[in-house]
Amino acid sequence: MLAANFDWQFIWDHLPDFWEGLKQTLKVAGIGIAGSLAIGIVLGAARAHRVPVVSWLAATYVEVIRNTPILVQIFFIAGALPHFPGHPIRLEPFTIAWLAVVIWGGAYNTENFRAGFEAVPYRYREAGLALGLGRLGTFFNVTLPIGARIALPSTINTNVSVLKNTSLLTAIGFAELTNTAYSLESESFKATEVYFALGVTYLIVVWTLSLLIRVVERRLALPEAR
Amino acid sequence: MNALGKTRITGLAVEAGHTGAALAEPARATTPVVRVENVRKSFGDNIVLDGIDLTVPAGTALVIIGASGSGKSTLLRCVNLLEPVDGGRIFFEGEEITRKGVKVPAVRQRIGIVFQQFNLFPHLRVLDNLTLAARRVGHVRRREAEERAHELLGRVGLVDKARSYPHQLSGGQQQRVAIARALMMRPHVMLFDEVTSALDPELVGEVLVVMRDLAHEGMTMLVVTHEMQFARDVGDHLIFMDGGKIVEQGKPAEVLDRPQAERTKRFLRRTLQLADSLEELTIDEGGVR
Ligand SMILES: Nc1ncnc2c1ncn2[C@@H]1O[C@H](COP(=O)(O)OP(=O)(O)O)[C@@H](O)[C@H]1O
Ligand SMILES: [Mg+2]
Repeated sequence: MLAANFDWQFIWDHLPDFWEGLKQTLKVAGIGIAGSLAIGIVLGAARAHRVPVVSWLAATYVEVIRNTPILVQIFFIAGALPHFPGHPIRLEPFTIAWLAVVIWGGAYNTENFRAGFEAVPYRYREAGLALGLGRLGTFFNVTLPIGARIALPSTINTNVSVLKNTSLLTAIGFAELTNTAYSLESESFKATEVYFALGVTYLIVVWTLSLLIRVVERRLALPEAR
Repeated sequence: MNALGKTRITGLAVEAGHTGAALAEPARATTPVVRVENVRKSFGDNIVLDGIDLTVPAGTALVIIGASGSGKSTLLRCVNLLEPVDGGRIFFEGEEITRKGVKVPAVRQRIGIVFQQFNLFPHLRVLDNLTLAARRVGHVRRREAEERAHELLGRVGLVDKARSYPHQLSGGQQQRVAIARALMMRPHVMLFDEVTSALDPELVGEVLVVMRDLAHEGMTMLVVTHEMQFARDVGDHLIFMDGGKIVEQGKPAEVLDRPQAERTKRFLRRTLQLADSLEELTIDEGGVR
């Protein structure tokens, strides 16, 4: 399958480098997933319950993010914000990195949770209200647990995409996994070895994440769907 | 449908022997628990409640009958503040609950409601369905809440279902859980909106028995139903609604046996005759006659 002169030793020797890059990738993806879930729940709830102003702002945010390439968003945060007229915003590369994926994933998760919350039959919410739970109590005890379970499969897709999209951060020179591989390749010219190892690493990581999430999903699914 | 007296649930019959005053806590004897005063409600051009007046004294069961779309559910939902009224006032134990600034969740905790579709929370076990509101807003500790929940499940004949999920229960069982859940908050009045209409015929009895026992224990109740035998046996007062108005009211047996208004007669003919002689009925633009 691979050329006879495939240099396994090279991969072996540079495993520590891959590991360093992978750690950055996982850190950014972790923040990205947690942050985008939080944004998704809050803004998704605002959208589903048509909270004035917030709902409109959230809708605009979702539209902008979903209709522009993530690479453009990354360049915007890295390049445009520091030159913001009158009010330059300086950001560390790590901050730019997680901010970019949180903002991207947050928009998709807002949509996921909006759809999930809206799919909760009104009669369940009414049952919560009728028991005297109040609007907030009904959201936290009824709409959120049921709606989040409905939203689960689509949020999983988003979360996996957040992880994969961290590779685009190489475009701003952030030393995550892809960027590390790219640097290695330009020093060594061993493109086959480097990108083979890179692909395998992503496969393992994404598979592991998917597997973990599937276990969680099965545990969380509504009882009648288990 | 059989006369209610003939229906029995073993679990309930056993438990019913030692039911204390804990279930129903009647209000001061003189103040009606619910008083509805000239209540009006429209959805757009559709006038659904057109000046409803009624009084429900403590410890009595009011039965509400009427054709589909006559405003029965809307009336109950207004009493529980799930729908705002357009005009008129509603009093609960002497306090106007339709006024501005009323603490809606606090009022609802005192007014239990059971719906046609059970509406049990699908993600929670039966026990947690019961304890949720008590723990979250009643500030009852888990232990205490679960003790009371087990006791109530005993009363509705479902002690062994505490660990089940709603979808694992029959419709009749789910509806009994829903009644127990509403009772957890120690309501002073219970509203029942066609709670047996979605059930298979053989499951209707087990739910009606629970409601009957509740009435006998002194719970104040507003019951929307099509079960005329129940209305007769358990109801203290009956109103017939049509077009958002109370067309006729009185003792259940009197209204059912000797209806005065033409609309009541027609409604009862449709409902009661259907069982006896489907052949005598004809259908035209006005519906079944
Ligand atoms: N939320 C709503 N929005 C608009 N119309 C409604 C709503 N709820 C009920 N209605 C209308 O009000 C009328 C009375 O409904 P309802 O109170 O459910 O009657 P019933 O319970 O006696 O069958 C019906 O015409 C129904 O379509
Ligand atoms: Mg109805």
